[in-house]
Amino acid sequence: MSAPRRPTAPAVKALESRKRFALSHKVAPPKGNYRWVYLWEWPIRTMHWIAVLCIVTLATTGFYIGRPYFMTSGEASSHYLMGWVRFIHFAAAGVLVATAVIRFYWLFAGNQYERWPALFPVRPRDWVNLVKQIKFYLLITPEEAPTYLGHNPLQQLSYTAMYGVALVQVLTGFAMYGQSNPGGFFYATTDWIVRLFGGIQPVHFVHHVLTWWFIIFVPFHLYLAIRADHMERTGTISSIISGGRFVNKDIDYVDSDIV
Amino acid sequence: MLAPTSHPWAAGDSLGAYLTKRGVSRRDFLTFCGEMTAMLGLSSALTPKVAAALTAVKRPSVIWLQLQECTGCVESVLRTAEPTIGDLVLDVISLDYQHTLMAAAGHAVEKALADTIAANKGQYVLLVTGSVPTKDDGIYCTIAGRTARDILEEAAADAAAIIAIGACAHWGSVQAARPNPTGAVGVAEIIKNKPVVNVTGCPPIGDVVTATVVHFLTFGRVPDLDPDGRPMFAYGSRIHDQCPRRAHYDAGQYVEAFDDEGARKGWCLYHVGCKGPATFSPCPIFQWNTRTSWPIGAGHPCIGCTERGFWDTMAPFYGRLPDVGGFPVERTADTIGLGLAVGATAGVAAHAIATGIHQARARRKLPVVDIDKKEESGHGQD
Repeated sequence: MSAPRRPTAPAVKALESRKRFALSHKVAPPKGNYRWVYLWEWPIRTMHWIAVLCIVTLATTGFYIGRPYFMTSGEASSHYLMGWVRFIHFAAAGVLVATAVIRFYWLFAGNQYERWPALFPVRPRDWVNLVKQIKFYLLITPEEAPTYLGHNPLQQLSYTAMYGVALVQVLTGFAMYGQSNPGGFFYATTDWIVRLFGGIQPVHFVHHVLTWWFIIFVPFHLYLAIRADHMERTGTISSIISGGRFVNKDIDYVDSDIV
Repeated sequence: MLAPTSHPWAAGDSLGAYLTKRGVSRRDFLTFCGEMTAMLGLSSALTPKVAAALTAVKRPSVIWLQLQECTGCVESVLRTAEPTIGDLVLDVISLDYQHTLMAAAGHAVEKALADTIAANKGQYVLLVTGSVPTKDDGIYCTIAGRTARDILEEAAADAAAIIAIGACAHWGSVQAARPNPTGAVGVAEIIKNKPVVNVTGCPPIGDVVTATVVHFLTFGRVPDLDPDGRPMFAYGSRIHDQCPRRAHYDAGQYVEAFDDEGARKGWCLYHVGCKGPATFSPCPIFQWNTRTSWPIGAGHPCIGCTERGFWDTMAPFYGRLPDVGGFPVERTADTIGLGLAVGATAGVAAHAIATGIHQARARRKLPVVDIDKKEESGHGQD
């Protein structure tokens, strides 16, 4: 094998720096039997991590609002604890809604793994694979998981359910927020929710209980992500940071043909 | 002030003439008109209009129906520390037909009702306290052999205005709480072809009843209503947003038990179940018994009695959130949620261990690979 012509030192440096600061997802051609697939574009990744921060903030402040676990003493005029907690809660809710707007836009503007058909197991084989995936997680068939590049059917269902629960949280949250200004925008637009639940107290209750849904989701989500990362060795966790996974060329991925 | 029995309101008298006869000074009367104008949320420039309208008003015929109820609303309206002009207005307008206050009995009473309706078609004001039972053809509340529904429909047909007083007339109150054995409903669910003003509460504040009647006498129409039929001037904002203890809420200072330091200092009752944040009512401003006191002022959390369905939705009265159905009282949503979260964590930990065991077993079954040979196979990237 003849040695290739070596580039000059400054040219290497330029190439390196371009690689380091490149904003596009283009990477060097794959070596070996692996290829890099780009799944999650920057709006999705940004949304994910902002939503994480928002949900942690919302749950913490929300539980304080539901049952104040710190007290202040002295004159009321020298404190504003609940006032600030509520402010942070409402502000974080506003940011979460903003991420939801971006996510909604990206249902139509995103790639094949982000667009709205990817939220649901739409094809018959996805339902077959849903059963296979559940069997895999129940260790009934611990070797045979359906291989998906994007989300597998079980992920699709559970993540879409999270969007649904988040939507209920947003709606009930604004219904409660609107109560302070009767006749105002939020009051007028959320009146139907209060009527639907039969009063504002059931709205409080649903909003409170669904917070636990998010908290219960965390161990499952973290565990299954770490588990997949550990067992498949394709960079599952880094895909929500860098946007892509390294996948084996020999494996035929179920959803590699969706357009 | 002279007693109504010795100085009755004659049929042709205006209210102004009647009040003079009762010994009410012009100054007191204008003060009352000013209060009513403020209570209705109107500009003080309208006080002369209110005064002129009330002075000129002829004795309005009012029928006060008492249906399935406890008479607490009547008590709330009548029990003031001293007779006010508002009481006089109410005293007088309630004379035609009012079970509790009427001297007459038996057939004479029912004749009074029929006569009043016949003589004032389309002109009388109908006040209703109490709910209407609908189950089993409404047999659970009958007066003189007629069901509450029957009486209400007849009286409402020719009424100029209908004011439902109290939570029972609003939505059924305690009779309508689950499981609602008598099928009790409010006035607005029976009378659908006319606007019904809901002066709600269990009991409502007498001043709100007076102010609503004053509004009707002054402007000839009922005040602006919220989507639930409650006058906006009274039920336009939450107790929480008008509460004298609100500063403690924002500061993070809460009563945790009714005998603790916070209770003595008058801190916020949010922690012990106050439903002020969910309740629209003017209680902090109007108060009861000539502005003597009100529940939160006396150190008790609001139970939300002006809201539809409050016996079911606001319970438990000393807790923030409704209980979870099917569990004992102590098992709140948080206990269950925490249990599930811990269970989920334990579950994934167990699953991780099971996965580890499975992987270890699988690894033992694998053929031994010569590392040096692997280098040549072309898959040497990892």
